[in-house]
Amino acid sequence: MTTNLRYMTMALFAAAAITGCKRDEEDTLVPPPPANEEEVITTMILSFDGQAGAADKELRFTDSDGDGGGVPVFELDTLQAASNYNVNMILLNGTVSPIDTISNEVLEEGVDHQFFFQPAGANITFAYSDADANGNPIGLQTTMASGTASVGSLKVTLRHEPDKTAAGVASGDITNAAGETDIEVTFPVVIE
Amino acid sequence: MVFFRACMALFLTLPCWCSAQTASGCDLVLSGTVMDEHDHTPLAFAEVSVPALGRGTVTDEQGRFRLEGLCAGSLVVRVDHLGCEPIERRIEVREERAIELFLEHHTEELRELEVVRERPDEHVGQAHDALDKHAMERSSGKTLAEMLATIPGVNTLNSGPTISKPVIHGLSGNRILTLNQGVRQEDQQWGTEHAPNLDPFSSDRITVVKGAASVQYGSDALGGVIITEPVELPREAEISGEVRGIGMWNGRGGGGNALLQGGVQGMRGLGWRVQGSGRYLGDSEAPDYVLSNTGVREGGASAAVGYRDHRWNATAYYSWFTRELGILRASHIGNLTDLNNAIESGTPWYVADFTYDIEAPRQDVEHHLVKAEAGYAISERDRIVLTYGYQADDRQEYDIRRGGRSGTPAIDLFLTTHTADAVLKHWIGKHMHGKVGVSGVYQENINVPGTGIRPLIPNYRKQSGGVFLLEHFPISPKVEMEAGVRVEATQLDVAKYTFDDVLITPQHDFTNSAITLGANWSVKDSLRLRFNVGTAYRPPHVSELYSEGLHHGAAAIERGDAQLTSERSLKGTIDLEALWFGGRLRTDVTLYANSIADYIYLRPNGVELTIRGAFPVFQYVATDAFLYGLDATLQAKLTKRFSLRNRISIVRGRDLSQSEWLFQIPSDRTENALLFELPQAGAWRAVEVSAASQIVFTQSRVPVDLDYSDPPGTYHLLGLSASASRTLGKGELRIGLQANNLFNTTYRDYMDRFRYYADARGTDLTFWIRYSFGKHT
Repeated sequence: MTTNLRYMTMALFAAAAITGCKRDEEDTLVPPPPANEEEVITTMILSFDGQAGAADKELRFTDSDGDGGGVPVFELDTLQAASNYNVNMILLNGTVSPIDTISNEVLEEGVDHQFFFQPAGANITFAYSDADANGNPIGLQTTMASGTASVGSLKVTLRHEPDKTAAGVASGDITNAAGETDIEVTFPVVIE
Repeated sequence: MVFFRACMALFLTLPCWCSAQTASGCDLVLSGTVMDEHDHTPLAFAEVSVPALGRGTVTDEQGRFRLEGLCAGSLVVRVDHLGCEPIERRIEVREERAIELFLEHHTEELRELEVVRERPDEHVGQAHDALDKHAMERSSGKTLAEMLATIPGVNTLNSGPTISKPVIHGLSGNRILTLNQGVRQEDQQWGTEHAPNLDPFSSDRITVVKGAASVQYGSDALGGVIITEPVELPREAEISGEVRGIGMWNGRGGGGNALLQGGVQGMRGLGWRVQGSGRYLGDSEAPDYVLSNTGVREGGASAAVGYRDHRWNATAYYSWFTRELGILRASHIGNLTDLNNAIESGTPWYVADFTYDIEAPRQDVEHHLVKAEAGYAISERDRIVLTYGYQADDRQEYDIRRGGRSGTPAIDLFLTTHTADAVLKHWIGKHMHGKVGVSGVYQENINVPGTGIRPLIPNYRKQSGGVFLLEHFPISPKVEMEAGVRVEATQLDVAKYTFDDVLITPQHDFTNSAITLGANWSVKDSLRLRFNVGTAYRPPHVSELYSEGLHHGAAAIERGDAQLTSERSLKGTIDLEALWFGGRLRTDVTLYANSIADYIYLRPNGVELTIRGAFPVFQYVATDAFLYGLDATLQAKLTKRFSLRNRISIVRGRDLSQSEWLFQIPSDRTENALLFELPQAGAWRAVEVSAASQIVFTQSRVPVDLDYSDPPGTYHLLGLSASASRTLGKGELRIGLQANNLFNTTYRDYMDRFRYYADARGTDLTFWIRYSFGKHT
C-alpha cells in the first residue's frame, strides 16, 4: 500500500513537472510582416523604339506577386511589319516601394548574365547592341528587325553564369550557353 | 542479437586460450567471491562457469568459488544468479589469482564497461540491428546515414555526396525517429536536403529498430527508430581515452576524434567524459570530373558528468554539432528547361578545379543538445527516471542570389525543443515487468527575419503530451511477450502571411494512439523468432500543411494542404535468427509488411507559369500506402579463418489509391563479402581483412510519369577493408584501411536526388589510426 502511494506521488510530481513548463506568451510565434522581397522580378518590359518613322511598341509580362500565387498577365502591342526597332529590356520588382529596377542589377553583373531571344513563327531577327566589361553581349539593348506579317512567339531567356565564349553564344545562340535560367518568358507576337 | 554476441566472444577467446595452453602448464587456480553490487553481501549458489571450457562451479554460503586446472591466458567467466542479470567478464589468468565479482539486481541502466553484461531486451519482438564501436570504426569518415546503410534494410537518400538521410524499410525523413542520448532528435527533417545533425562518434553503439514503435518512443516512428545509445560513464578514478585520425582520398581531407573519461578519486560512482570530433573535406570527385562545391566541414563536441550508486543516478550531458556543407553547384538550376538540359547532356553543366572552398548553394547548421537525467530506485526493483532535454537547431541555407545577396541566407530557421519524460520502471509480481511513463514536447520554429524571401515553412509552435504503458511477461520459459499502449495529443499553432500579406494563425489538434504486441520465442538455442505487430502515427509536418512557393532545390512549386490528417501505420515484422550446422552458418531474416493510412506525399498537379518559365506544381496529398519486404544476412564460416557473408535488402512500396508504385523506394540490393580474421600475426592482433561486392539493381518499380528521367541502371561496386591492432606502450593501437568503389566505376543511384545532374563518387580510400588507453576503452 505504501509503495502504491509512493508511485502515485512520483507520477503526480512528474506530471506537474511536465505540464508546468507551458509558457503563456504568444508573441514569439507571430512573424514580423513579410520583408521586402528584393530579388523578385514582377515585370518584364521589352520597349520597342521604332526607327525611321515606325511607331513605338511594347511587350509586357507582369506577375505582380512573384513566383506562385496569382497568374501572370501579358500586355502586348502588335509589331509593325518590315520595321527596325531599338529594343530596351526593363526588369522591375513591383513588390517593393519604390519600385526597384532589377535590370540595373543585371547590368552591374553583366559579365555573369546574358539574354537570348528565340523567335518562332514570327518573322523577327535580332542583334545585340550592348556589351559587358569583357566586350561580350548582355542583351539589355538589342536591335530587332521585323519581316513580313506573321503570328508566332518570341522566347526571352536570361541565363546566369553562361559560357559567353562558347561557340555561337556571342551571336545569340543559346545551344552551348549552359548556366542556369533566371528568366524564361515566351511572348506571343503578332506582326502586321 | 545478444546471444550471438556472447557466442562471438567465445570464438574470440578460444584461440588465445589454446595457444596459451601449450606455452605453460595448466595448473593455475582462479578463486574468488561473488557479491551483491549494492551492499557487498556474499551471494551463495551463484553459478560461476567458463563457457568456453564447458566447466563451472557453484559458490558456497560465503559466496566463494574455486576453479582449478586452468591454463594461462585470457578467459571469459560467466556468473549466473537467481534474480540477477548474468554477467560475463574477461579475466587474464597469468598466475593463481583471486577475484571479486559483483552482481546487480535489475539495474538495467547501469552498463558496466568492464563487464560484458547481457542487458534485458528492450525491443521484445522487434527486428533490430546494432552497430557497435568496431563496426562504426570500420565506417570511419562516413556520415551517420552511410554508417547505418551497412545494416540490411537500411538505405540512404542522398542529395549529392554531402547530404544523406537514413531510409529504413523504404521510409525516411519525418517517418524515422532518431533518439539521440535518449532524447528525441528534433532538427529540420522535412526536406530531402536535410541530413540528421548529430555526431555518430558521440555514442559507441547505434541501434536500429525496424518496426513501428510509437508506443515506446512517441510519434514519427513509422519506419523505425535510430537509437544512438548513451555511453555509460566510468565509476572508477582511472582515466582512459582514445584518439583517432582519419585520412580520406576522395575529398582530399580527413577527420578525427578524441575521447577522455574517468572518475574522481575517492568518489566512487562519479564519472565524466569529454569527446570531440571533426571532418574537413574538399570537393568530392566522380570518375570523370570534380563534383564542384561538395566540400564539408563538421565539428562536434560533447561533455557528460554523472553520478550513480545503487539508489540514485544523475547525468548531465551537453553536445554541440556544427556542419557546413556545399551543395553540388551543377544541381542548382533555374527551371524545368535547365533540368531537361542537364538530363540530356549527361554531364554537370558546372565543373571547376578541385577546391576546399564552399560557395553558395550551401548549408550551415548548428545543433545543441542539453540533457539532464535523474533516476531513483524507489524500491528494490522499481525505479523512476526523469529526463529533460533542450535542443536548439540553427539552420541557414544559402542560395545563389543576384545583387551580391548570396551571403544572405535564403532560409534561416531556428528551432527550439524542450522534451520531458518521466518513466517508472516497475515489476508486477515475479515475472512481469515494464515501464509506464508520461512525456511532453514543446517546440517552436522561428523564421529569422532578414532573408528577403517569403518563408517556405511558416513559424509554428507544437505542443504534445503522451502517456504510455509497456509490459513484458514470460508466458513460458522460452517465450517472452511484450504488450503496450500509448495515447498522445498534439497541438500545432501556425502563424503565417498569405500571398496577400494577411496574417493567419490556424490551429490544429491531433490525437493519436498506438499499440504494440510482440514476442521473443527461443525455440531452441540455435533458433530464435521475434514477432511484432505495432502501430505508429505521425501528425503531418507543418511543411505538408502550409508549404507554398518555389522550392528552389527541387525546381518545383510545392503546395501544402491544411486539411491533411495524421499518418497511421500498422507494421508487422517477423525476425528469424538461426544457427545451422553447429554454428557454421548463421542466418538472420526479417520479413515485414507496413500498411500506412493517409500516407502523405507530393503528387504532380499541373504546371504554373512564372517569370522563370513553367514550373511543375506538386501538391501534398494523402493516399494509402503498403510497403513490404525482406532483409537477410547469411554468414557461413568456411574455415577457422574465412567466412562468407551475404546481405540482401528488398522493399516494395505500393500506392493503393492510385494502384501505382511509390516514388523513391530503394531498389533491390545484395552484398557478398569474404571475411578473413586472424587472432594473432606477430605483434598484431585481431587482424581483419574483407572484400565486399555490392550490386544495386535498377529500380523498375516506379510510378508512371512522375519522375523527370528513367531510373539509373544496375551497378556493381567492389570494396576492400583491412584492420589490425597491436600493443603500444600502455595502450592499444589499431589501424585500418577502407576502399570503396575500387574500380572507379561510373554510376548513378536511384536514391540520389542529384542523379539528374552528375555521377556518384569515384574511388574512395580511407585510412584511419586509433590509439586507446585505459581499461574502459
